Amino acid sequence: MTETRDVAPPATDGGEPPDGSEFGVGDGSDDGPRIEFRGGKWASTVPLVFFIAWAIFQSGVLGIGGPDGLVVGALVGTILGLFLVRGNWKTYADAIFEGMTQRVAATAIVAWLWAGMFADTLQVGGFVEGLIFAADALNVGAATFPAAAFILCGLLATGIGTGYGATIAFVTLFFPAGVLIGANPVLLFAAILSGAVFGDNLAPVSDTTIVSAVTQDADIGGVVASRFKYAIAAAIPAFAAYLIAGAAMAGASLEGSAALREAATATGLVHLISMGVVIATAVAGRHIVEAVSWGIVVAVAFNLAFGLSSVSDIVAFTVTETGQFTSLPFVVVGETAGVGGSLYTGAIGFFPLIVLTLLIVSMAQIMIRGGGFAAIQELLLNRVATTVRRAELTMVLGTATINGMITINTAAEIAIAPYVARIGEKFNINGYRRANILDANTSALGYIFPWAGGVLVGYQVMIGEGGLRAEYGLDAMVVNPIEVVPYVFHGWFLLAIFVVAAITGFGREYIPDRASEEVSRA
Amino acid sequence: MSVFDKFLAGFSFRGSTPDYAVGDTIEVMVTGREGDAVGGGTAVARVGDSTLRIEDAPTDAVNTRVVVDVESWDGSGHRGVGTYRETVGESAF
Repeated sequence: MTETRDVAPPATDGGEPPDGSEFGVGDGSDDGPRIEFRGGKWASTVPLVFFIAWAIFQSGVLGIGGPDGLVVGALVGTILGLFLVRGNWKTYADAIFEGMTQRVAATAIVAWLWAGMFADTLQVGGFVEGLIFAADALNVGAATFPAAAFILCGLLATGIGTGYGATIAFVTLFFPAGVLIGANPVLLFAAILSGAVFGDNLAPVSDTTIVSAVTQDADIGGVVASRFKYAIAAAIPAFAAYLIAGAAMAGASLEGSAALREAATATGLVHLISMGVVIATAVAGRHIVEAVSWGIVVAVAFNLAFGLSSVSDIVAFTVTETGQFTSLPFVVVGETAGVGGSLYTGAIGFFPLIVLTLLIVSMAQIMIRGGGFAAIQELLLNRVATTVRRAELTMVLGTATINGMITINTAAEIAIAPYVARIGEKFNINGYRRANILDANTSALGYIFPWAGGVLVGYQVMIGEGGLRAEYGLDAMVVNPIEVVPYVFHGWFLLAIFVVAAITGFGREYIPDRASEEVSRA
Repeated sequence: MSVFDKFLAGFSFRGSTPDYAVGDTIEVMVTGREGDAVGGGTAVARVGDSTLRIEDAPTDAVNTRVVVDVESWDGSGHRGVGTYRETVGESAF
C-alpha cells in the first residue's frame, strides 16, 4: 500500500511554536548530567522499584486505596536512592527538581484541576439523580437493570471523568434500588464497574485519559475521538452480555422501585448537555482548559437556572458568626470557618494525586539520569519487542501487568507511560495509538480485581459505617469483591480487543499517518 | 482533519510493513543509525517493520521527529531511502 502523506507542522494555539523539548526529558544519557550509582545503572531503578513494591503491598496486599499513602512510599523510595549515589548528591537532587518541572506533569495537573471542578459541579447539580430518573422513566426491570446501570454509569463517568466517583454515586443510589427490585447484586455491581471503566477510558476529563494523551504527545480531543472505536467495540458486546446475564441471574423482587423514584430528578439530565459541551469542544480541537471551562460555565448556569444547586453548593465561604457579608449567597454560617463548594472540593480532591505525580516523574528522571531507564528499554527492544506486533503486545501486556499490580490506576499509568512512549516511538507507532493502548488496560484493570481501587471504593460504600448493609439490614447489599471479577464485561472486552488489535493491526496508525495536534493544547 | 475524520481515523486493519512512494513527504521519528556503530552511520527510521534510511540527517537526529522526502522505495523489501528536510520535534520522553 502506498499512501500520500500530508505532513503539516503541528498546530499551535497561538502560543510559542512547539519544539517538543518541553514535553520530555530527551535521551537522558547524553543531554544532561549523569548520576553515578553504587551498583551501576540498575541501582537508579531503586526509588521507582521500591515505590512499586510499596504500592503493591499497600493496595494489592492490604487493600488500602487512595494515593495519599503512595506519596509516602514515593518519598521514602526517593530518599533510599540517595544513599546509593556515588560522589556528590547534588546531581541526584537536581534530577528530582528536573523531573518535577517537566511540562508533561504540569499539563496533567492543570487538566486535573479543571476536570475536578467540572465533575463536582455536575455532582451537586443532580446529574446522578437525573440518570436515576431516566432509569425509572424507562421502567427498567430486574433483568434489564444491570444493562441500564452499565449505560447510565458509563454516561456519568464520561461526564465527570472519574470512574471512582461514578462508582460511589451509583453504588450509593442505584445499586440498592436495583437489588430491591430483584436484580442480581453481583452482576449489578459488576455492571456499575463496567460503566466506570467506560467513562474512565473515554472521558476527555478523565485523569487517565489526560495522562495517556500528554505522555504520548497527543491532544486529548484527538485521543478521545480515536479511542471511540475501541470503546464502542467493547461496550456493545458488554451491553448484550448484561442483558443476557441479567435475564439468567435475576433474583426476587424486594419492592425497590419506590426507593429509586425517591431519588429521581428529571432536570438533572440537563447535564448531559454540560457533558456534551466538553466532549464536543475537546474533540473539535480546542484546548482542554477552554473545553472544560465552557463545561463549568454551562453546568453552573444550569444548576442556578433550574434550581439544581445553590450558589453556596458551588462556592462557599463559611464563617462562624453572622456578619455584614453573610447576606451574600456564597457566604454561609457554619461551625467551622473555611472555603467549600464544588469548585473547591473538585480541585482539592486531586491534590494527593498531583503530589504523587510530581514524585513519580522525578523518580523516573532519576532512572533516566542514572541509566536504568535506557537499560530496561534496551532489554525490551532487543529481547522482547523485536517487531511492531511484538512491540504492541509488549505495551498491551506490560500496561496490563503493572495495572493489575498497582491498583491505583493513574499511578500505574504514569509509571509505565515512558516505556510505552519509547517502545512505540522505536516503531513509529502514532501517539494516538500509544495513548489508547496505555489507557485501555489502565482503565480496565482498575475495576476488575478485588484489590482494584475502583472495586474497593464501591465495596466501602456497602460495608462502611452507615453503609448499605447498615442502612438496609440486608446481606444482599454487600457483594464479595472476588465474585465480580468475571462479570466486569466491559473491562475484559476492552483488554481482549487490544490484544486482538495488537495482533491483527486493527486501529494501528504510524507517526507518518498523521501528526498529533500540538500537545500543549492537551 | 474534520471532527468526523478524527473518529474514523485508524478504522482499519493496518499491516506491519507500510510502504511509501517516491516523492512522498513524511514525518517520522528517527529510531537509530546504520553503519558505523559509534556515533556515525546513516540515520534510520523504522516504521513498523519497514525501514527508511535518511540521508543528510543531523548527527544527533536519533529520537527526534523529522520531515523526510522519500527518494526511493523497495516495495518487496519494505525499505527505502529519503532525504532529511527539517527537524520538527523530539521524543515524548
